[in-house]
Amino acid sequence: MNTKQAIYLEITGIIVAAVLAILCGFIVIMFSSEQPMEAISSFLGGPLSGAFNIGTILNKAVPLIFTGLALSVVFQCGVFSMGAEGQLYVGAFVGSLVAVYVHGLPAWILLPLVLLCAMAGGALYGAVPGWLKTKWDANEIVTTLMLNFVAILTTSYLVNNVFKDSASGGYARMHYVADGTKLGKIFAGFPAHYGVLIALLAAVVVYLFMYKTRSGYEMRLVGKNSRFANYGGISTKRVVIVSVMISGALAGLAGIVEILGVHGTYKDNFSSGLGFDGIIIALLARNHPIGVVAVSLFYAYLQVGATQMQVGSDVPRELAIIIQVMLVLFVSSQAIFTYLKQKSALRQKAVN
Amino acid sequence: MLSALWAQIIDLSLFIVLLRFTTPILLSALGGLIADVAGVINIGLEGLMLISAFSAIAVGSVTDSWVLGMVAGVASSMLVCYGMGFFSLKLKVDMIITGFAVNIFGSGVTIFLMNKIFGVTGNYSPSAIHNIPVVHIPVIESIPVLGKLLSGHSLMTWIAFLSVLICVFILYKTPYGVHLRSVGEAPQAAKSLGISVHRIQFSALAWSGLFTGLAGAYLSMGMTSMFVKDMTAGTGFLALAVVLLGNRNPIGILFGSLIFGLASAIATVVQTIPGSKVPSQFIQMIPYLVTIVALIFFAIRKKRKLNDALRAQTERSKIAAA
Repeated sequence: MNTKQAIYLEITGIIVAAVLAILCGFIVIMFSSEQPMEAISSFLGGPLSGAFNIGTILNKAVPLIFTGLALSVVFQCGVFSMGAEGQLYVGAFVGSLVAVYVHGLPAWILLPLVLLCAMAGGALYGAVPGWLKTKWDANEIVTTLMLNFVAILTTSYLVNNVFKDSASGGYARMHYVADGTKLGKIFAGFPAHYGVLIALLAAVVVYLFMYKTRSGYEMRLVGKNSRFANYGGISTKRVVIVSVMISGALAGLAGIVEILGVHGTYKDNFSSGLGFDGIIIALLARNHPIGVVAVSLFYAYLQVGATQMQVGSDVPRELAIIIQVMLVLFVSSQAIFTYLKQKSALRQKAVN
Repeated sequence: MLSALWAQIIDLSLFIVLLRFTTPILLSALGGLIADVAGVINIGLEGLMLISAFSAIAVGSVTDSWVLGMVAGVASSMLVCYGMGFFSLKLKVDMIITGFAVNIFGSGVTIFLMNKIFGVTGNYSPSAIHNIPVVHIPVIESIPVLGKLLSGHSLMTWIAFLSVLICVFILYKTPYGVHLRSVGEAPQAAKSLGISVHRIQFSALAWSGLFTGLAGAYLSMGMTSMFVKDMTAGTGFLALAVVLLGNRNPIGILFGSLIFGLASAIATVVQTIPGSKVPSQFIQMIPYLVTIVALIFFAIRKKRKLNDALRAQTERSKIAAA
């Protein structure tokens, strides 16, 4: 079987899995709703009705693309990080500090500086579990999960007590960021902001890095077989640390772009699980950067659809979570893909 | 502040809070342990606890019976564990991914059902609920210190400590325990001896569901009398850390759970002391920091052991060569 066919089968399998997952969602709707048809039609059709909803899909996809890329990098390197959520908070926080408190720089210097600081914050925070793993072999699933709590609580303390905008009343948020650093709308009257372009650029850069550079190749090799990589003279530890730092930097970008594009200020608990959504997206995209973009759009479509459904019917929007879980399970089920491949091989044999 | 903390240690209220927090961690860590021993690491403890906590209080409040509530909690958790088994063992989904999916599923499905069934979004607190009863031991209760140590704890606390013994018995005293361990150590070898690896792993997951279900039922019908969305707040992840630290041994799990229970208890006690200067966020952080520190400590110890073993081996081969 050549590569083209393999990719074709892979994509077919993923689409089959997506359809199965949505069908599961429909079954839940049938059982739980008194107006199932309204629910389904607002769920599927709602997101594509009107420019506003389409723009919302794009905006929602932006942080997902970043966190999806972040996790696809470490997953390819064989590190099962769950820490994008915490890195996202740290990155967003550091970036926001710069955006709020650094004055007197022209916007074209300040904006890149803000993004860089956010990336540095996320990268350094990501380096902690990476270092613990390479130095002492501390299980990264647990350390990254625990560091999420630490990051969320620390930033929450800081934004509630130290950096709180006194004019914000009961809201825990910083001052609004300088006007020049806000990411504006791409077209007037269409809600999508410039973060969309940054996200697409990031996807291309990550693709080139992972598949066209030596470092990317080393990371994928370490992920496939770290002992072999070590034997071949690759410093596994260095590669792992670099990969978790890149991942943290991308997660930090996810946070700061969300702040600059959507909120305009750092808010306590603004993420609500974007880092965890990134895990799903990387899994669904099979860790491929281009796949990450496609899956993020689909995922954002599901989210907007669920919100539309909640407004237009009696089904709560958490239905989307049930569909997402089924998606993860079906797409990861090797049995379905093996079955498809076997069937295709048999068909080929019959043709020949 | 320290004097207030000391006072709570002296009058044993810290001990009582410690037991309250240890109970769910211990039970779900035992659930994680049995799965881990059989080679199916279950990282879905958090989601399983949420599902069980919701089913328990939903059924408990409707039927007005804590027994039925507890049974419902355990049954729902076991059911989801069978689902995990179906996906990871039959459809060959990576066990880590399945567990991750269960964690998200638990959070989403409980909010979904709470909304659909009871029409509330943030939390569900039934007007009257029969909680899992507290055990008062007649004579001992009136003895000053001993009474406070032994009496007045939730029935579930006793079940949790009893479960440690049950796990020791299952794992080390029954043929089934040998099967569990051999499947976890060397599935191929176990298979060649005629042990059905899948069946053993399914049953290990069922045990996992049973214990985690008890932990969840305790959260909503023992510790509190309500269900709050995402009320586990990381308890399942602490339990997962205990599983990794406990060295695949129920007694290790017991000590691990007590450490995390103590960290949580201190966090709560310090928080409730009037005039405390420490910000609440930093106190809430204690259990998570303790987990990280404990994990590093454990990893260093493991590495040192490994190095010692390697060194001993090279020494031996040197002697043999000489």
